[in-house]
Amino acid sequence: MKKIIVVVVMTFVTIALQAQFSKATLQASGLTCSMCSKAVKVALEKIPFVQEVKVNIKSQEYTIIFKQNNNADFDALKKAVEDAGFSVASLKVTGNFSDVSVQKDKHLQLDGKNFHFINGNDKVLNGEQTLTIVDKDFLSAKDFKKYSAATKMECIKTGKAGNCCVKDGMHSEERIYHVII
Amino acid sequence: MILSFVFAFSAFAVKGQGPIPNITDNRLDFTVAGIKGDSIQLSSLKGKVFLLDFWASWCGPCRYSNKQLVKFYSKYKDKGFEILSVSLDDEKSAWKKAVAKDKITWMQGFDKGGWDSFAAMKWQVDALPSSFLINKNGDVVGINLEKDDLEKKIKELLELK
Repeated sequence: MKKIIVVVVMTFVTIALQAQFSKATLQASGLTCSMCSKAVKVALEKIPFVQEVKVNIKSQEYTIIFKQNNNADFDALKKAVEDAGFSVASLKVTGNFSDVSVQKDKHLQLDGKNFHFINGNDKVLNGEQTLTIVDKDFLSAKDFKKYSAATKMECIKTGKAGNCCVKDGMHSEERIYHVII
Repeated sequence: MILSFVFAFSAFAVKGQGPIPNITDNRLDFTVAGIKGDSIQLSSLKGKVFLLDFWASWCGPCRYSNKQLVKFYSKYKDKGFEILSVSLDDEKSAWKKAVAKDKITWMQGFDKGGWDSFAAMKWQVDALPSSFLINKNGDVVGINLEKDDLEKKIKELLELK
């Protein structure tokens, strides 16, 4: 009986923590005018889970639409920008959430990825929501410093579980995306 | 097969070492909307020494380059030098504003679609600014020449001392 309850609870948790990411907005920066090069757009378009890339000159942003039922790998977006000779100045990811409750400094698994919320205590996320990734090299060095000071947990420095999260049953090498809402 | 051949050829045509690309080639010719409501066909400029310049109002380095081009244009236009600028702007209003601000009096064309615009695709423009110097025969004789090299080459093509 106990076993059944555990299974039911687990299933419930898995269903309850559903989120599917559909798009991202990205700003690139570099020594030269990043929008003056087609390289970032081309590099992003080559990523298998990317459906379409739109360039928005006014906001100096790329809107990246993901393919449906993708497993979007946010690190791949960063790598593409860096391989094109630029760096990521900002990455916001948008997804559809259903009853995802967020607690500061707690890890959540969403859409096959681990997330660590730097803020948003006791918020319940529903519908379309946008998260800003605040891991190192996903924003300016100055902003990274600001956000990394907002948590005492070590994992924000490396983006990996490390020693601080193994108690949650994670492997120390597991990737954790640090986000704010 | 045919497609890959065409692709390989056009890739060679502009930037490779194949035959010298010429503006009368269908694969390079285009028509853009002019700033006075007219339309400008590239191949109609054959017979002139001119610079084909791709830019956009939001491109800082292009605006800087415009300053230099304004000087070159006033110096060499009476001797037969022309410029055709093609803007990859999203909005015509931003383009027109920049043309007025930079005091551009040469031919200005607009091709909507940004990086994916017809003219930019044909000329494989992957960075702004991008420029191509064309001789009287319509041949591309210089790509992205810097200030001094550009002036030297213009003088040579106009047969000035």
